[in-house]
Amino acid sequence: MKKLFYLLAILIAGFVILFFVLKSEPTPTYTPERNYVIGKENNILTQFLLAKDSTVIELAEGHFTLTQSLLLDGVKHVVIRGKGTDKTVLNFEGQSKGAEGIRITNCVGITVQDLTVENAKGDNIKVMDTDGITFENVCSSWSGKVSESNGAYAFYPVLCKNVIINRCKAIGASDAGIYVGQSNNVVISNNEAFYNVAGIESENSKNVKIFGNKAYENTGGILVFDLPGLTQYGQNIEVFNNEIIENNTKNFAKKGAIVGQVPSGTGSLVLSTKDVYFHDNTFKNNKTTSIAIASYVLIYELGKRNATNKSATKDVVGSVQVINNEYVSDKNYNPYPREIKIGKNTYSNSYWFPTINNDFGKILLMKKPFQKVHVLWDGLKDSKSIYTICFTKGAETVPFLGLDVLHDFKNNTDDVSKFNCN
Amino acid sequence: MFRNLIVINILVFSLCIISCNKTEKKISNEDYVSVSGLFIAKDTLTNYSELGLKKLSDYGFFKQPLNQLIPSSKQVVPYELNSALFTDYASKKRFIYFPEGNSASYISDETVLEFPVGAIIIKNFYYKNDDLKTANSDVIIETRLLIKEEDNTWKALPYIWNEIQTEAYLYILGKDIDLVLETNSERQKKTVFKYSVPNINMCKNCHMKNKEVVPLGPTPRQLNRDYLFSDKTQNQLAYMTENKWLSNMQPLNEVSKLPDYSDASESLNNRARAYLDVNCAHCHQDGGSAKTSGLHLVYQEQDRYKLGVNKPPVAAGKGSGNLSFDIVAGQPEASILLYRMKHLEPDVVMPEIGKNLVHSEGVKLIESWIASLN
Repeated sequence: MKKLFYLLAILIAGFVILFFVLKSEPTPTYTPERNYVIGKENNILTQFLLAKDSTVIELAEGHFTLTQSLLLDGVKHVVIRGKGTDKTVLNFEGQSKGAEGIRITNCVGITVQDLTVENAKGDNIKVMDTDGITFENVCSSWSGKVSESNGAYAFYPVLCKNVIINRCKAIGASDAGIYVGQSNNVVISNNEAFYNVAGIESENSKNVKIFGNKAYENTGGILVFDLPGLTQYGQNIEVFNNEIIENNTKNFAKKGAIVGQVPSGTGSLVLSTKDVYFHDNTFKNNKTTSIAIASYVLIYELGKRNATNKSATKDVVGSVQVINNEYVSDKNYNPYPREIKIGKNTYSNSYWFPTINNDFGKILLMKKPFQKVHVLWDGLKDSKSIYTICFTKGAETVPFLGLDVLHDFKNNTDDVSKFNCN
Repeated sequence: MFRNLIVINILVFSLCIISCNKTEKKISNEDYVSVSGLFIAKDTLTNYSELGLKKLSDYGFFKQPLNQLIPSSKQVVPYELNSALFTDYASKKRFIYFPEGNSASYISDETVLEFPVGAIIIKNFYYKNDDLKTANSDVIIETRLLIKEEDNTWKALPYIWNEIQTEAYLYILGKDIDLVLETNSERQKKTVFKYSVPNINMCKNCHMKNKEVVPLGPTPRQLNRDYLFSDKTQNQLAYMTENKWLSNMQPLNEVSKLPDYSDASESLNNRARAYLDVNCAHCHQDGGSAKTSGLHLVYQEQDRYKLGVNKPPVAAGKGSGNLSFDIVAGQPEASILLYRMKHLEPDVVMPEIGKNLVHSEGVKLIESWIASLN
């Protein structure tokens, strides 16, 4: 009888734990107040189409619905200005042409300010091949309950130079809220990113400063990635003075997306890039880990293994040692993180369990049950790099785990002193 | 029991009503017009004089009646391409206007001819009489011009036709035209859709290479084919050379030929690669709008990874359709490339603009091609 009682107690405890584990992966909802005005589309469209060098596109107050992308191409020093993020709203929910909300290409010195772009089918604001793009006080969002049918990127400058994203808000992106790709000289400052899969992401970009931002309730807070096969690779990225909090939202990315691999509860994830410095950030309640550092080799293999389409993975052997020729064939790409420097940050986590919907979470749960790991590294490294990760003076007290994924986790280490910066 | 019978009776009765209503709707369907949304007399149109001439007839390319598209002089040279872009089953009539005394020059087989300043490429999009119900002639929807300006840059201008087919007007905002295509041997069902004339900036989406607007079609390998000119059938490149519109030309037998993807006598691989070249590679190439994707689909590309085989998407978002690779050799159903050809949602459809119908022949071709890869 007593045995049965114990069994029951354990069972109940198990359910309670499962309940909390699942409950801690919310799918939040964003519902701003709107009063849409229909039929002003042609006026707004004309302003964009007739813009010349130095035009100021003044957008009136109102919540406007649009059925097609607003395009700006090949102009210099144009300002697109609304009356404020609550007052001027461009809603692309009913769009039938083009996937973006605003698309800016081949321009010089463009400023977008004081307006909201929302609910585009694809990306809300895409900027390509532009030298000088500034976003100031712009809100870019998808409303309703977060879902994989939300668009991919809220702010999406790619192949740009001199990018500033300041005092903006990114909400509900099914890929990354603030994303900067293949760009140089980038400042991402004083923004708020929430309810996205990735709050802020720097990908294959050089000379990037990410500071003073609040990244909360995303799946992952601030990500720094390098992917193969692209025009350039990232380096010199500094992430400091950010608040990275409660990034425990369920991963709602489409499966093909690389951010679909990000475990819920990740403060920051560094993937395969070079020369990244994290300091003076506040990491709080990111239930899986505060900073994860991983190699593309691992992510790629995990991604292939997790792909639902079994037939697509028939040539995969279940080991991370299998290196795929495809990305190895990119001679300029280095799949390992290098020179990742961790300075003093504030870490806390009141959650008991990491995510169980992801391999990283499961590994943590098995290897470090009931312990909180704030810096997690997959242990894969480029032997030619000066160092892979290091901790600056005063930053050595952080709970750390270096995995040994190559040897079935035989030589995992939690000894920070092996990785001091010199 | 009795109660049940009553309930069933009511159900059957209401079903009848619903289905009767449906048939009624079908009847009213017969009143449709094949094309609506073209300009009518009461439309007031803005003059964009700083951009280009107001009316197509202002250029003087064609004799009256304008909609016959008969060149007004030898300077307006008609041509066709070996493989053409799919645009919602529209047919196309293409011309190049050469300024008197100037010629285009050959660069290489796959590079667009170097046109002289003042050259204008004219592309008319129309639906054939057989495709439409009410019309008793072809209906031209739009005419797009690419004009080579003094500073050697190209300018793209869209003109939309009027309902009575007497004129086309410069219209920069883009326009949806409602169309109903009749059934034919390949089209089992009547097709109702919105044809979209691009706005003036959308032209650049496809016609942009290395930050400049460029023509896409008239490369020597595309032009290398016969055409029925007014007096005789002749190779287009030979005709242009003979009339001094083309200089620096290579011997014709050394010029390559892009396969016609609809020509079943060509190899499957060549047909598929030609299809991808004309339908995708204007963006998916070095310097094109989709260069960030890393997917390069030009005909001469040999790198399987760049062609998408086992290549994960870079920023496809929803376009990935939960699939992991652009192309999985031997598995069309696992390939994002085919998935995006088969879907029409704005954030999934490829090509991104100007496509509102699935090209079923193209889908079949690419499907068999991916299935044939190993």
